[in-house]
Amino acid sequence: MRHHHLLLRCRAMPLLPLPPRTLRVSGGLVHHRLIRCHGMPIPRRTPGVSGGRLFASLPLPPPLQSPREVHVWYLCPDELNNQSQLNMYEELLSPSEREYADSMKATMLRKDVVLSRALLRTTLSRYTGCKIDPRSFEFKKNKFGKPEVLWPLDDSTAEQPLHFNISHTTSLIACGIAINAHIGIDVEEKKRNTTKNILSLARRYFTPSEVDSLAEISDSDAQRKEFLKLWTLKEAYVKALGMGFSGAPFSTFSIMLETSKGIRISKTSNASRPGYDHLSENWLFTLAELNSSHYMSVCIEDSSRSQGPEDSPAPVGLKVWKTVPFVEDTLVSGTEAVKLIA
Amino acid sequence: MAGARTDRPVSPLRGPRRRYSRCAITPPRINVARSLLPLSSTPPHPPSPSPVAPSRSSCSPPPFACCLMASIAGSAVSFAKPVKAINTNSLSFSGPRRGNAFLRLQPVPMRFAVCCSAKQDTVEKVCEIVKKQLAVPEGTEVCGTTKFSDLGADSLDTVEIVMGLEEEFQISVEETSAQAIATVEDAATLIDKLVSAKSS
Repeated sequence: MRHHHLLLRCRAMPLLPLPPRTLRVSGGLVHHRLIRCHGMPIPRRTPGVSGGRLFASLPLPPPLQSPREVHVWYLCPDELNNQSQLNMYEELLSPSEREYADSMKATMLRKDVVLSRALLRTTLSRYTGCKIDPRSFEFKKNKFGKPEVLWPLDDSTAEQPLHFNISHTTSLIACGIAINAHIGIDVEEKKRNTTKNILSLARRYFTPSEVDSLAEISDSDAQRKEFLKLWTLKEAYVKALGMGFSGAPFSTFSIMLETSKGIRISKTSNASRPGYDHLSENWLFTLAELNSSHYMSVCIEDSSRSQGPEDSPAPVGLKVWKTVPFVEDTLVSGTEAVKLIA
Repeated sequence: MAGARTDRPVSPLRGPRRRYSRCAITPPRINVARSLLPLSSTPPHPPSPSPVAPSRSSCSPPPFACCLMASIAGSAVSFAKPVKAINTNSLSFSGPRRGNAFLRLQPVPMRFAVCCSAKQDTVEKVCEIVKKQLAVPEGTEVCGTTKFSDLGADSLDTVEIVMGLEEEFQISVEETSAQAIATVEDAATLIDKLVSAKSS
């Protein structure tokens, strides 16, 4: 049985040694369901595809150094058309995820479901030292629907919980990872057009100060782009908060892009209504242009103490990889492909 | 004029593949090609109501309502893809929404409501607005049971649709209500409610 001969060109940082894991061992067999044991064969779903062998070929990323560091892994669905590769990704999905993918009537949507779940699972696997099979992750939703990893109670990785968030556009799916900090990410195509007039959209959904700053831009294309930037930032905040669109309506907080201290957020008077006490301002933002084609906003919780107005929040450490899981990872941050806007 | 999406490549998502539509008003059309697919999942059965929270609840609207409607309409209930009926208890994550803002697809409490509670007129108007906003290609069916997520609507699309509906019906939609909308029918029901509240 030939296994997939995978071309691996990883230009990420070199592999780091990991401390050995202690496994609960009883009678020579490892009982922890998440740990791949060399003694026990992993049940194969299709001949020739060994999940264990495959995921072991995910290179280790550099570790997340601090709660202010965010790692983003993205893929481009349009470039992934190799059916055997797609089948391999589908192998990683849980039965319920696969049912959900099957329920998608449109092929493109189905492919997006498969890719986004595969991206999430492989990324999480990387950040748990590649010791957890991507297929083993389980997820739960908070009461507003935000997905989170359901860590097994005895797993040591639960001490430093990983947080993730996913965003899709037709042409790009991104997964952001942070450690010990809630994260939200949103991606949007730069050339995205709206059917409604920008200012009327802003008047309906944004805050007055944001409307004013948009109205000041005379060039309609620049105005549209500014709108999209604000949109992705606000969306990233809402997703990071994890309380749904109604938990933080866009009209209850303002995002300011052009301050000397980077991107700032402030609550509006709307937010002093009862029900919006949870809206907090201790969040860090970063906005970047990906491949000159997309805007990407990332929002993470800022747990540092220094949050006085005079203090300039330290920038978010952002690293971005373009990935074709199991095939190729390319570190794109620090190149032309990722241009930090703020 | 195709609307907002002219700059985007027309994706095959909106292509000629017939969507399996299960409109309660028109007789459901069973897509023959799909019905030939092997039923890998278990036979259709009415799902038991699952708890909305905490962990694995579905985010899809009550599809079994469609099952009921179809049987009432007297058509052959040999659904090619009963997956939707089974899905409701086993999902563990949220769907592939563009932008993924939980704007909709919140776990909707299981409604065993059989009838379309929205007026047909409203449903049709909503379909029109949705089709225009999403630049749905000619021939793609959009009806009451169509899910926004199935049409590939992302959060920006959704707010534009909501705004379009507000303008059309002269209503104001709160974010909490907007978030609960998963299908065209949900939107129409909400609109009817708001319109009648306005006039009463």
